[in-house]
Amino acid sequence: MITRRYRVALLLIAVVTAVTAGRASAKDASPAEQARVIAQGKDIFKTKATCQFCHKWDASGDQGYGGNALSLRATKLTPAQVAETVKCGRPGTGMPYHDQFAYTDKRCYGVSRADLGNDMPPEPNSFLNSDEIDAVVKYLFATDVGRGPSTYDDCVVFWGTETRQCESMKQ
Amino acid sequence: MRRLLSAALLIAPFLAASALTPVHAADMNFDRGLNAGKEPQNWLLYYGNYQGFRFSALDQINGDSVKNLKPVFSVALGGLQSGGRYAFGNLEGTPIVEDGMMYVTDGWGSVYAIDVSSGTRGLVKWKFDPGIDRAWAGDVACCGVNNRGVALWKDKIISIALDGRMFELNKATGEKVWERKIADPALGETITMAPLVIRDLAIVGPAGGEFGIRGFVDATDLNTGQQAWRTYTIPAPGEPGSDTWKDGENRWQHGGAPVWETATYDAESDTIYQGIGNAGADWDPQYRPGDNKWAASVLAMNPTNGKIKWGFQYTPNDPYDFDEISEHPVIDTKINGKDRKIVVHAARNGFFYALDRTSGTFVGGKQYVDKLNWTTGLDPETGLPANYDPKADVQVYSPGTHGMRGNPMATVCPSHFGAKNWEPTAYNPNLNLIYVPSVEGCDGLETVEEKSFTDQGGPLKPRDRFSGGSFKLTGRLYGSLKALDPTNGETKASVKLDFPNYAGALATAGNLVFLGEADGTFAAYDAKTLNKVWTYNVGTGINAPAVSYSVNGKQYVAVLAGSRQSPFVMQNDPQLKYTSTSSMLFVFGLN
Repeated sequence: MITRRYRVALLLIAVVTAVTAGRASAKDASPAEQARVIAQGKDIFKTKATCQFCHKWDASGDQGYGGNALSLRATKLTPAQVAETVKCGRPGTGMPYHDQFAYTDKRCYGVSRADLGNDMPPEPNSFLNSDEIDAVVKYLFATDVGRGPSTYDDCVVFWGTETRQCESMKQ
Repeated sequence: MRRLLSAALLIAPFLAASALTPVHAADMNFDRGLNAGKEPQNWLLYYGNYQGFRFSALDQINGDSVKNLKPVFSVALGGLQSGGRYAFGNLEGTPIVEDGMMYVTDGWGSVYAIDVSSGTRGLVKWKFDPGIDRAWAGDVACCGVNNRGVALWKDKIISIALDGRMFELNKATGEKVWERKIADPALGETITMAPLVIRDLAIVGPAGGEFGIRGFVDATDLNTGQQAWRTYTIPAPGEPGSDTWKDGENRWQHGGAPVWETATYDAESDTIYQGIGNAGADWDPQYRPGDNKWAASVLAMNPTNGKIKWGFQYTPNDPYDFDEISEHPVIDTKINGKDRKIVVHAARNGFFYALDRTSGTFVGGKQYVDKLNWTTGLDPETGLPANYDPKADVQVYSPGTHGMRGNPMATVCPSHFGAKNWEPTAYNPNLNLIYVPSVEGCDGLETVEEKSFTDQGGPLKPRDRFSGGSFKLTGRLYGSLKALDPTNGETKASVKLDFPNYAGALATAGNLVFLGEADGTFAAYDAKTLNKVWTYNVGTGINAPAVSYSVNGKQYVAVLAGSRQSPFVMQNDPQLKYTSTSSMLFVFGLN
């Protein structure tokens, strides 16, 4: 009988292992460092930039007051493309930019704020520096991108056990 | 002599206690509530009075003296924790002030009892934290972590929390007497509104119009902590109005019509006027053919048993998310020389309405927002949108102003945030002017065909978002403050604001109107001209309405400051992008 807590721990280890094995850029980083970066990415996704407000906690996408946010579980974008989207947002949509200097020059898609006019992406909840953007992308590819529907255990990994948040996913 | 000595010994502790105790609050009762205007030193009720005026009869701070208005103290509050989809809680609350004690809430429902009797500092005497499961409740709050305040009852404080509970607290100590679960986040229900206490009943309702709830108005018997009545805002089959849900698939069960702002009350007819929110799914009106009563409406209700006396629907089959939850002031006035008893409403849909408050019939209405494109006006007889089609199951209104399946993109003015959202108006009865703080501008809507909930054969689970689409900004939103004649909605004065307003107004007998803004500006305007006569910047966004009170003969103005700067406010206002959230009470007085 494997307890839920143990299963959650196993899942975390599996995530770290997957990242270690799968990401070329991670070759030189220790598992502890990779875990730290992913934890930082999660904090950005969950709280600092509050990506989950629109994309939902499991990055499966959502609608309504978060805008029509795409599923990152189903995305075909590469890590570099996701990083660019986080940095520059998506003009004409509700996806914010997170580089504080985006559109002050032509670093994003070769256009400035003046060029975009009303298609300017929204201001973010919080600006992110390049390390933070790297962390949130690593987090997404470690836990969400390319995965099927989220599970109860995924939910507990995200929210912890001290909440009723995952109750409805319990089988 | 001995008897006298005994008596003196007996009363000595009480004398000592009263010498040390700065406040002598009487119990709150219904009569005090009805006569709140006779205690201008206090702010006893959410709107200052039951009629919904947000008017202080104090006039020490006036056009001549306001130049000497300065911050006299501030108090740092809490509630900044993250939870669910939110990085922190907001401050949208209205302080309640009674005999030198102030009761305020933060977004996570903590209540602070603050001794403001010295006039030089606010001393927090107790704090009650309801201990919300923040992830669970915050994940189904559509638009922020909010709590708009408490109510007084006898020697108790009545408060609510986002997770749907109501609390009775000991006013002197903050100890909990009882709690009652009213709304359930497991169903997407939350509570953000200040309770309305009528006699011994506390009346609230749930938010959740974006989560497929079925709204209700609920009364708690404060003597027992048990439910006294509950009236659903969407009629069940067989009840009057149920024929306005024509889908044939029981979509009324998830039809929204939430309740998240406090009702007003007319004592003469013993009637509450409760604003009702949007139909769900918000932007997919084809999901719910029919007028969808009583979404986007006002209900006149008996506060003792919850029976509906009449209803008036502002935007039938609402495809815009035009919640009409906000206040409905109760005004006695003359129209064409005749005495009229009216209830008025600055609606989210951009029109100002005056209704006969006995019959619910339309008296008059007028566009008050700068730009309005979704209809061509109001029918002068019925008050319905001029292009409302009584034969249509799904209203088109002005083509291109809301999405439809197969033609999803649209632009609506005022924006779906409303001409006026929850932030309350203020009414100066001496001048017979009502002050409307607004969001001006347009935004884009996009319809996405909504799916059904699992109990109706679809994939959506309880707590899933249920909006039938989304919105996006198409240009800069700005704000305005307008002074209207409440009998006909005619604009008598107006001032353009740099930012859309999400704070709400305070009117005073000093003929001033106070209003906070997203950039931290807290300003006073001349009540006749709306010229700005005083301003102070608190350094963090204001999303709450001010109150006024006095202690020891000196008038103060108090406001809560500190809120999430909505990305939708900032999108075209980049000057706000580095502002930080705080959680503060600011109190101003004359130097």
